[in-house]
Amino acid sequence: MVSAKLLKDLQEMGVELQEVPYEKKGYCFDGQLEKDKLLQAVEAFDHYGYFIEDIVCVDYVENLELIYHFNHWEDPKRFSLRLRVNPEDPEVPSISPIYPGGGWHEREIHEFFGVSFKGHPNLSFLFLHPEIEYYPLRKIPVRIPEEKKKILQGKMPDLEEEAFWINMGPQHPSTHGVLRLFIKMRGEFVEEIEPVLGYMHRMQEKMAEMKSYMQYYPNTARLDYVGPLAFSMCYCGAMERLCEIEVPERAEMIRLITLELNRIASHLLWLGTYLLDLGAATPYFFAFQDREAILDILEGLTGSRLTYCYYRIGGLCEDLNDSFLKKVEEFIHRMKKNLKIYDDLVTGNAIFVARTKGIGLIDKEVARRFGLTGPNLRASGVAYDVRVSEPYAGYKFLRPKIALLEGGFCYERYLVRIKEIENSLNLLEEALKRLPDGPFRTEKKIKKPPVGDVYFATESPRGQVGIYIVSDGSEKPYRLKWRSPSFCNFISFTEIGKGMLIADAVATLGSLDLVVPEMDR
Amino acid sequence: MIKWLKRIYQEYFNSDPLQVLLLGTGALLVLLVLLALLYPFVRGAFELGLSYWGKDFIRLLLSIVGVLIVVFGNALILVYVERKVAGWMQLRIGPKEVGPSGLLQSIVDAIKLLGKQLLRPRYVDKPLYFLAPILIFIPCLVTMVVIPFDHNLQVRDINVGIVLILAFSALTPISIFMAGWGSANKYALLGGMRSISQEIAYEIPMVLSIIPVVMLSGTFSLKGIVEAQKIPFICLQPIGFLIYFISALAETNRTPFDLPEAESELVAGYHTEYSGMRFALFFLAEYTNVFIVCALATIFFLGGYKGPLLPGWVWFFIKTYILIFMMMWFRWTFPRVRFDQLLNFSWNFLIPLAMLNLAVTGALMKI
Repeated sequence: MVSAKLLKDLQEMGVELQEVPYEKKGYCFDGQLEKDKLLQAVEAFDHYGYFIEDIVCVDYVENLELIYHFNHWEDPKRFSLRLRVNPEDPEVPSISPIYPGGGWHEREIHEFFGVSFKGHPNLSFLFLHPEIEYYPLRKIPVRIPEEKKKILQGKMPDLEEEAFWINMGPQHPSTHGVLRLFIKMRGEFVEEIEPVLGYMHRMQEKMAEMKSYMQYYPNTARLDYVGPLAFSMCYCGAMERLCEIEVPERAEMIRLITLELNRIASHLLWLGTYLLDLGAATPYFFAFQDREAILDILEGLTGSRLTYCYYRIGGLCEDLNDSFLKKVEEFIHRMKKNLKIYDDLVTGNAIFVARTKGIGLIDKEVARRFGLTGPNLRASGVAYDVRVSEPYAGYKFLRPKIALLEGGFCYERYLVRIKEIENSLNLLEEALKRLPDGPFRTEKKIKKPPVGDVYFATESPRGQVGIYIVSDGSEKPYRLKWRSPSFCNFISFTEIGKGMLIADAVATLGSLDLVVPEMDR
Repeated sequence: MIKWLKRIYQEYFNSDPLQVLLLGTGALLVLLVLLALLYPFVRGAFELGLSYWGKDFIRLLLSIVGVLIVVFGNALILVYVERKVAGWMQLRIGPKEVGPSGLLQSIVDAIKLLGKQLLRPRYVDKPLYFLAPILIFIPCLVTMVVIPFDHNLQVRDINVGIVLILAFSALTPISIFMAGWGSANKYALLGGMRSISQEIAYEIPMVLSIIPVVMLSGTFSLKGIVEAQKIPFICLQPIGFLIYFISALAETNRTPFDLPEAESELVAGYHTEYSGMRFALFFLAEYTNVFIVCALATIFFLGGYKGPLLPGWVWFFIKTYILIFMMMWFRWTFPRVRFDQLLNFSWNFLIPLAMLNLAVTGALMKI
C-alpha cells in the first residue's frame, strides 16, 4: 500500500503521524510538523503520487495552524499535516514549486490571514479589493500593510513587445458569470493567463463564523447554484459526522436520488453552454428543456428551483410526496430517449470533433499537481470518484459506475459527462427500486455540536467538494473552510492554457465546467 | 441648420484639420464611385440632350427607390424570418406579441435602434469609426444595381456585371477592418484582422467557382447568364454550386464561419463598440449581403427568374429565399469552426477543388 510506504518514509524523516478513526474525523492520518520539515514531507507526498486537496488555515489566537490535506487516487486515505505558525510574524516556506496548485491555496491564506509564503512566485490578492483594512479571517483584528495589497503585479502592456494584454471578462460571453482573465496574447495565441477572481466573492467562510450552524445552512446552496445539493450534502454530512448522528436509510436513499437528479441537471446545463461556447446555439435550448423537467421535479419536492434547502442535519426536511417517484420514472424514460438524440446530433458532428479532439490536454501529472477532481479528472483516465472512495448518503448501499476515459482532451471531457448522465440514470432506476420505507429523519436533537474538527467530502457534478469544520462547542462554527472543485479545476487552466489559440482557450475553459460563485465563495 | 451642423462638427471631429481632410477625401471617393456608376447616364445627357435626360432621370429615381425598398424590405423580412426560424429550431415560438404573430417585430426593433443613444468610446480613431458603418453599406447598394429580378426588372444591365459585383463585394472587408481598427478595442481589432484574411481566402474559390459559369454562358452580364441557362447550371456545375455556397457563407460571415464576430471568443468582434443605428447599419449590411449572395447563387446556378407558371420575379424571390433559409438552417445547427481550420479548408481543399472543377469544365467544353 502506498500509504504504508509513505508513513515509513515520513517516520524516517522524523514526522510522526497518528492514525485517527475515519468515521469520526473524515481523515485517516494526522500529525504535527515542524516548519523546516515541511518541504521534505511534501516532497515525499509528491514522490508517492499524492494529490493536494486543499490547505486550511485556522486562527487559534495563540498560534495559526496550517493544515495541508493530501489524498491518493488509488489508495484514498486523507492525510492532514498540521503546521503551527507564530501569529506575530507568520512565515512559511511555499510548496508551490512542488505543487503549483497548492500555491493558489497559499495565495488565499495570504490574503485572508496574512501568512506570507517564502518562495511563492506571485503573492498578490486574488479575491479582495485594495480598500480592505483588516485580514478578514483573523480572530483579533490585524491591519493589512499597504505594501501587501497587490491586485495584479504591475501587468502593464510592454510597448517594446509585440504581445498585448487583453481583458477577458468580467463581462465576457464565454466566462459564464463574472470571471476575469487577464491574458497576454501574441496575435491569436495565448501566452500567459493571469486570473482575477473575487467579483462574486461573498466571504462565505466569514459568514459561517457569524451565524449559527442552522442559520448558515441555506447559504450552502448559494455556493454552486447549478449543483447545490452536493454542497448541502457536504455540510449536513460533516455535521452528522461531528455530532455522530445516524441517518435513516430512507433519508440516505432519497438524498442519493436528489443528488443524482441534480447531477444530471448540472451536466445538461454544461452541455448546453459548452456548445454555445463553440458557437452552436440550438443545443442549449434542448438541454435546458430537459433540465427544466428536473427542476420541476425538484420543485415539487423541495419547493425551490435553484437553491434548494431540503436536507437537514440528520435527515430531510420532508418526506417524498406521492407524485415524485412517478415523475422521476417518466423523466428517466424521457431522458434516455433524448440522450440518444444529443449523441446523434453532437458527438459525430465534424466541426464539433475538430474543435474538441486533441485540444486542451490535461495529463495525469498536471491533474495531480493542481488537485483536479470530478469528470475533468476521469477524462484523463483516473478512476477517482468520492462517491466510491468515500461513500456517503445512499452510495453506501448502491455503488455507482465510474465513467472513465483515457485521453484528457476536451472531447473526452464531453464524452465523460454524457456517460455520467447515462450512469446516473441507471443508478436512479436502481435506487427507485430499492427505496426502503421508514422514517425520513432522526429523532435525535442537538443544540450544540461537541468540540472537535471534521472533514467531509462529496462528489459534486464538478468534482470533490470538501468541507473542514472546527467546532469550539459553541453554537457557531469556529472555522469553516470549503474546498470548491471549480477553484481547483480552474487554476490548472493557467498552466494548460499557455500557447493555445484563443478559440481553443475558450473551448478548454468551457470544458472545465466552471461555476464562478463557487470558485469565489 | 448651420448651427446644428456646427454642433455636429464640433462634437464629432473637434475641429482637427487632419481629420477633416481625411473625411473630405473619403467623401470625394464616394462621390467618384457614384459618378463612375452614373457615367452612362451623364454621357447620355450630354450626347442626346434634355429629353433623354428627363426619361433617364425618372428611371434613375425609380430604381433608387426600388433598390432601397428591396434592401430595407429584405432586412425587415429577414430579421423576422431569422427569429422565427431560430425559434422553431430551438423549441420556442419566436416573436409573437407585436402585430399579428409578431409580424411588426422588426419594424419595432428598427424604431428601438433609431432611438438608442449613440455611444462613442473616448479613444476611437474618429474618421474611421464614423465612416465604417456608412462605407459598409455602399457595396450592398451598388451590387443591387446589376441584379436582374425579372426579365425586364433590372436597374442597369452592365456587360461586366460579375466583375462589378466582385469588385464591390471585395470592399466590404475594408470597411470591417476600418471598424475594427478605428474602435480602439482589441476584440474589434482581432475581428477586423480575421475578417481580412477570411475574405481573401474565400474570395478566390468564389471567383474560381463562377468562372465555369461564365465559360458556359459566354458572357459577363448577369442577364445574359440567366438567358443562357436552358437547364439550370446547377445540373452542369454541382461542385461549382457547392463551392460557391460555402464561400458565400464565409463571405457574409455567417455561422459556421462567423469568426470576425465570434460571440464566445471576441464578444461581438468588429462591431463591439458600435451602438444604436451605427450597429444597425452593420446589421442591415449583413442581411443585404446574405440576400445578394443568395440572389447571385440563384442567377448563376438556379436559373434566376426562369420558371413555369408564376411570374419571373416570384420565382426569383422563391429561389433566393430557399437559399437564405438554408443559410439560417446552417447557422442554428452548426458549431463554429476554428480560425486556422477555416483557412486550411479554403487553401487546402476548396481552392484545389475549384481549380479542378474549372479544368474539367474547360476540357469537357472543348470536347
